[in-house]
Amino acid sequence: MGLNQTVRCMGLSFQNPVLVASGTFGYGDECYDIMPFSSLGGLVTKTITAARREGNPPPRIVETDAGMLNSIGLANVGLECFLAEKLPWIAQHAGLAKVIVNIAGFSVDEFVEVGAAVGSRPEVDALEINLGCPNVRAGYIHFGADPESVRRVISGVRKKVNLPVIAKLTPNVTDIASLAEVAIDAGADALSLINTLPGMKIDVAERRPVLGMGFGGLSGPAIRPVGVACVYKVCQHMQRMDAQVPIIGIGGISCGTDALEYILAGASLVQVGTASFVHPQAPGNIARELAEYCETEGIGNISDLVGLAHQH
Amino acid sequence: MKPVFEWVRVTQISSVAERTFVIAFKEPKSAAALEPGQFCMISPYPGSSNVYLPRPFSYFRVSANDTIEILFRTFGRATRWMASLTPGDRIGVFGPLGNAFNQHPGAERVILAGGGIGIPPIILLAESLSRLANPPRIDLIYGEASGSRVVDLAKVVPPRVCCQITTEDGKIGVKGLVTEELSRILDTCKTPPAVYTCGPRAMMAAVAGMLTPGKVALFETACEENMACGRGICQGCVIPVKGEEDATRYVCCCTEGPVFNGFEVKWD
Ligand SMILES: Cc1cc2nc3c(=O)[nH]c(=O)nc-3n(C[C@H](O)[C@H](O)[C@H](O)COP(=O)(O)OP(=O)(O)OC[C@H]3O[C@@H](n4cnc5c(N)ncnc54)[C@H](O)[C@@H]3O)c2cc1C
Ligand SMILES: Cc1cc2nc3c(=O)[nH]c(=O)nc-3n(C[C@H](O)[C@H](O)[C@H](O)COP(=O)(O)O)c2cc1C
Ligand code: FES
Repeated sequence: MGLNQTVRCMGLSFQNPVLVASGTFGYGDECYDIMPFSSLGGLVTKTITAARREGNPPPRIVETDAGMLNSIGLANVGLECFLAEKLPWIAQHAGLAKVIVNIAGFSVDEFVEVGAAVGSRPEVDALEINLGCPNVRAGYIHFGADPESVRRVISGVRKKVNLPVIAKLTPNVTDIASLAEVAIDAGADALSLINTLPGMKIDVAERRPVLGMGFGGLSGPAIRPVGVACVYKVCQHMQRMDAQVPIIGIGGISCGTDALEYILAGASLVQVGTASFVHPQAPGNIARELAEYCETEGIGNISDLVGLAHQH
Repeated sequence: MKPVFEWVRVTQISSVAERTFVIAFKEPKSAAALEPGQFCMISPYPGSSNVYLPRPFSYFRVSANDTIEILFRTFGRATRWMASLTPGDRIGVFGPLGNAFNQHPGAERVILAGGGIGIPPIILLAESLSRLANPPRIDLIYGEASGSRVVDLAKVVPPRVCCQITTEDGKIGVKGLVTEELSRILDTCKTPPAVYTCGPRAMMAAVAGMLTPGKVALFETACEENMACGRGICQGCVIPVKGEEDATRYVCCCTEGPVFNGFEVKWD
């Protein structure tokens, strides 16, 4: 690449703006041979919960037009195994890539407990809080859909750790900008936008939903306009608030141009999710395409492009 | 070997039975390393189709000149797109993926049972077993719902394999189900045979119901589930297996399978 693609964000230095999204890159080990994440801006791990989770009954995934639905059910190895086995491996192989651990809980206390345990580990560069998780004690409403839950989770974790805390917001709310504001007020150092959208596919021949759980989360190119709009909206809202919290753009990024849409809408970094399933080297290719774009357009650093779409 | 992603060109595609095709391409790296039971993910060249996710297909045959053949049947968007390909078209191939059948059955007799489009990995296995230094006696049962779907396997099944076709409409081979033929062959086994199967879930469940651990030397099933990544990342392709105290455990079909000990899968 030869170009300086470094992005400074949350007090960290990312060697390029492309990260891999939670749940679409496992714990980094399954794909290291073919897509070493050490060449990327960072790795966001699969969501970790306090206990190991078996996950939802199959079928868990199905293709849709320009995307896919998943209902994995936060299957993960659990906090203890993650800290003992997965994290050391990730740290050993990360090189210059930042290690961001995505966490969730089914209660505010669980978020805080997992956040504190992960956040005390020196191998971790930042925490990403998955607010798209149902709150078991509040009638299974997603944490991210309720301002009070967002505030309690983010401030609870914030108080326990010295690392940057990223709030990953769900787009399934009436006004994402107001929830972003709550997260920022509660101490979030950055916002990740967006998680999947709820969806369903029905097998007409069988006359029933395809997925084992019925509903799933929609991801892939189909959701990119939604993600870009969320980033734009939140960025606009922050400009009005005079807040300076970086945004990480996620949703349907498959090539450099897709990533540029997010950056121009106001994202400092981007995450690549489902595209890794389509082509295992997609994240690396996207980082390269961004560097090539900057070179051809004579742009010194990709950060110079952040939010430029707002000037029109 | 580590899986590789390659853009390859289709060298040949032909219709071999109702809704059933063989597609061929050259991919020397996998061709040299792949084993029976393993699979590859096939995807369209960007912009050439509205198929979004890659789809898993078992290896069917490998020829001396590094040509890999896939046998497939059309069901939906992806397989219909594949059927529309012509020689020279580019496709993405990611493999070899998954585990393989145990090629040392440790039995005097081997029974291979393939149902419908579950037949491809069974054929590759038949070939590999018949090349063993001390090959077992191999019976192969190939079942289809109707005669019009039966693929002519005469040229691909090794001569020493004893092949029996069953169709539900009785148009080709014996009228009936794979399991009926299997039961007949099992009755002739004097020592515990090794049984391998791949086919519709209901068929594999029925086969599992007929066998008892201890009375067979080995029982392996190649399973199917929807896949996205093909290498253990998305956790999307899980198969229910028996855990401790009969609890259900979900394991990835793409990494811990597609070949499973048929006694460990929870078929109900
Ligand atoms: C490890 C593995 C190996 C495989 N090997 C082969 C192979 O060698 N040859 C081959 O043809 N297929 C094989 N398959 C199945 C193949 O991947 C699917 O048929 C394919 O993904 C269907 O995609 P589609 O878009 O055409 O159909 P979809 O739109 O996904 O499906 C359309 C409809 O057909 C049904 N359907 C899909 N596949 C099957 C099937 N195999 N049997 C019965 N109903 C089905 C679906 O439930 C749905 O109702 C394999 C699958 C796995 C997991
Ligand atoms: C199979 C799958 C599993 C996912 N698991 C998680 C998860 O555990 N935690 C999380 O915060 N997001 C998870 N996501 C959401 C992604 O991180 C991302 O926000 C979303 O897929 C949109 O990006 P994309 O369109 O690039 O995939 C998952 C997505 C997919 C497709
Ligand atoms: S297909 Fe992704 S884990 Fe098996």
